[in-house]
Amino acid sequence: MTGTLIAFFVLAAATIASGLGVILFKNAVYSALSLILTLLFLALFYLQLGAMFIAVVQILIYAGAIMVLFLFVVTMLASEEAGDVTTPDRRPWQRGIAATLGFILVGALSYLLFTNTSLDSATKASAANSLSDHVKTLGNTEAFGTALFHGFSFPFEITSLLIIVALLGAMVLGRRSLGRDGQK
Amino acid sequence: MQEIPMTWYLIVSAILFTIGVVGVLVRRNPLTVFMSIELMLNAVNLSFITFSKYLDSVDGQMFVFLVLTVAAAEVVVGLAIIVSIFRTRRNINVDELNVLRG
Repeated sequence: MTGTLIAFFVLAAATIASGLGVILFKNAVYSALSLILTLLFLALFYLQLGAMFIAVVQILIYAGAIMVLFLFVVTMLASEEAGDVTTPDRRPWQRGIAATLGFILVGALSYLLFTNTSLDSATKASAANSLSDHVKTLGNTEAFGTALFHGFSFPFEITSLLIIVALLGAMVLGRRSLGRDGQK
Repeated sequence: MQEIPMTWYLIVSAILFTIGVVGVLVRRNPLTVFMSIELMLNAVNLSFITFSKYLDSVDGQMFVFLVLTVAAAEVVVGLAIIVSIFRTRRNINVDELNVLRG
């Protein structure tokens, strides 16, 4: 049983380290690679928490598709933007204040989490829709799919609308606007 | 498996979220700011999965699934905006992007 404990600590340290890398690397390409690493570690967290389907989706969609898009844009713009160093630092106090606010935020969140974390047994799922039972009888993905298409079919349909809108928006924004003279 | 307290996962999630917040406050490159937002979304996803396990309910995983699609849409539109900003003005420092007019 200590194996899961060790795995948790190693994963937590690796996730936080790579998360720090995202904001500490000067080069945006390194930041993106560090973010990919963070997402993969989070997928391992999901595996540890028993959410197999979400872990695979995280790797495929997030670390795969979304981050490829990110890296594509980063490398497209990286040739000309040289990162944060070239522009003069006009707000030198910004870093200190941001770090202070960050410490306050993480302190407040940890305080709240450590002081009242008892889960009400009333909020737990009833035996009829207990996840562990469903997973035992149906399997992980099927339990997920059943819940998605029975309780969450309306949000699922709204999602398709959202994706269409985002697609059209990206096309409109990415189009070179042609003026009357055919040149921008 | 059940011996790891729920609080620990939530603490990791809180730390990741804070890293994202500090990144948004500190960095000037809009792409890095965007990555910090992704970090925050993922920190919240970790909380959702944790609650899904410890409340023994599938709802948390469902929310993560929906957050994932929303994040994908957000990245597509956001990156399109950044690219089109970059096309009109060569500089993409967020401190200097204080005019919405093209």
